Amino acid sequence: MNRDGWSGLVLLALAGGYYWATGAIPNSTLEDEVGAIGLPRALAIALAVLGLILAVRGFLAARATAAAGNTGTAIEDEERDARIPRALGFLAFGAAYVLLLPYVGYFISVALLIASVALYEGAPKRWTVPVAALGGALLYWAVFVKLLGVNQPVGTLFQGLF
Amino acid sequence: MATFWDIIHLLTGTPLIFVAIMGLVWGILGGALPGISASITMALVLPFTYTMDPAMAIALLACVYIGAEYGGSIPAILIRTPGTNSCAATVIDGYELNRQGRAGEALGISLMSGVVGSLFGLAMLVLLTEPLSWLALAFTPPSYFGLGILGLSVIASMTGGSLVRGLAAAVIGLMIATVGTDPISGVTRFTFDVPDLLNGVEPVLVMVGLFALTELMSQSGSTDLTQLKESVRIRLPSLSMMNKLKRSQTIGCVLGLFEGLTPGGGGSIAAFMSYNEARRWSKTPEKFGKGSEEGVAAPETANNTVASTALIPLLSFGIPSSNSTAVLLGGLLMHGLLPGPRLFEQNPQVIDSLYVGSFVAIIAQIGVGILLLPAAVWLVNRPRPYRAGFIFALILSGIYTLNNSGFDLGIALALGVVGYFMRLCKFPFLPMILGVVLGHMVESSYRRSLVLSDGDMMVFLQDPICVGLLLAAAGFVIYSLTREVLDARKAKLKEAHG
Repeated sequence: MNRDGWSGLVLLALAGGYYWATGAIPNSTLEDEVGAIGLPRALAIALAVLGLILAVRGFLAARATAAAGNTGTAIEDEERDARIPRALGFLAFGAAYVLLLPYVGYFISVALLIASVALYEGAPKRWTVPVAALGGALLYWAVFVKLLGVNQPVGTLFQGLF
Repeated sequence: MATFWDIIHLLTGTPLIFVAIMGLVWGILGGALPGISASITMALVLPFTYTMDPAMAIALLACVYIGAEYGGSIPAILIRTPGTNSCAATVIDGYELNRQGRAGEALGISLMSGVVGSLFGLAMLVLLTEPLSWLALAFTPPSYFGLGILGLSVIASMTGGSLVRGLAAAVIGLMIATVGTDPISGVTRFTFDVPDLLNGVEPVLVMVGLFALTELMSQSGSTDLTQLKESVRIRLPSLSMMNKLKRSQTIGCVLGLFEGLTPGGGGSIAAFMSYNEARRWSKTPEKFGKGSEEGVAAPETANNTVASTALIPLLSFGIPSSNSTAVLLGGLLMHGLLPGPRLFEQNPQVIDSLYVGSFVAIIAQIGVGILLLPAAVWLVNRPRPYRAGFIFALILSGIYTLNNSGFDLGIALALGVVGYFMRLCKFPFLPMILGVVLGHMVESSYRRSLVLSDGDMMVFLQDPICVGLLLAAAGFVIYSLTREVLDARKAKLKEAHG
């Protein structure tokens, strides 16, 4: 199955899940002709149709490729697929930041984020990493907390200290 | 239209000058970073505008756009890597001039051509947008429905070669727009008892997730490109050189105006078209590709013109024709400003600030551009791993300022994953953004119209503005589809003939 085929199947699953979720939309006494459920159901059906078209197109294209005797994937596609775990790993630092933020607070979370992303992206393991991380955290803390007055979390671990 | 005293008040009684210059600085620095497009630069600053005065916020975003268009030409000329997509045409002769040791001259031509294009674009914006606002008083709920449909019809030209993928992206965007409280009955939809979802998913989260986070994820693991020369200095063109560039700048202005007004046009197309036309009309076409000054002037004039003229359909009809104008639309919506005719009627101060702020930014661009070059070069030369860490931290810090909510961070990260896979599977982003920002208007005006007419669908055909807008939308879709089919046929024929 090629890219179109897989995307089509994902869209079909998304359309099915979304349609199922419309069942939880409550009725209202202010209901109009279309209702709160009207557009969501129409969208679910539209997405299902589009997903089906993509899936069929992908299936036919894959069959044509196989019939032509070319079963291998392009080098470009293989390289692209190999980069997926790396990209998702990058975002995992963001998820860790979200989880840590309420506990260790803004300053430490930002410093950890900058340091870990820099190392993950290939920065040499030298003193510059913690210095850049702490400098960056200080800069962002000054801009967001002091200058813009954003109520960034102090962190439950340090609540008594500040 | 603002009076002379209104303008004086804006310049002296508000922080507009400061805002315009800050936007310009941010735009130039962001645009100079390879991989950070004008729309990403704008999306990064979007969360900061949340607590600002709406007029200042919109002026800031417009000035970021202006700055990013010039900033993108810096790496295009110095390291053959366009900072923004619309500077791709500048690479051809800009980098050649750099190789000949004339980088400062190329940067100067780019800067001054950008100023010429921006001033022309701004003049057109002021002249053309105001008359269109006269339609404001005649707009009814069916007209707004027609307007929303016309906006969505832009999708037809933004599908990146696959209409099905573009439509699917738009439907997903519309689905996201249905999350939250229903605009007519007030019941909740797809909130799953999560209080943070009651107000729906903010468009800014979708934009930051799709544009900025997806770009960072895609760049993960890539290696640094050539470093910029630290010693380069801008050399502004002489009067005789400006005279020589007149023809190519005029071509850039005209095509920039045309492409800015065309939904789906954008700076890249305008820049390449201008480059080609400038070569065709040049007295020295043989110099193109070998370090022609006109080859830098034409695309830079064009893409800077588009930065202003693309705001005409956005401000007058609420139609974003590019990623950058979609971000600006997100900024308008974030501040509760309904894009389109009502904006002129109810919030003239927003329009005035945008015009005056843009003018300040364009004029200041000459000085700021020269002064900021060393900073831009320094920033581009920072090692990519640190840059990625700082940008990621900036994005997450910015998102938190919206509602002081960790939930928003989670939504943006999730949308980053969605965007990454959409990009892998070649799904375009703009249709999804359009779905998110226009979904609410389309649904609520459609249903409001039916409530007013007791369910009679003829209400849409009885409103002449609605009919006109729907016909325009249909015409636009048919034109885009025909072009797509013809292009595909042409490509097949080319393939068949080797």
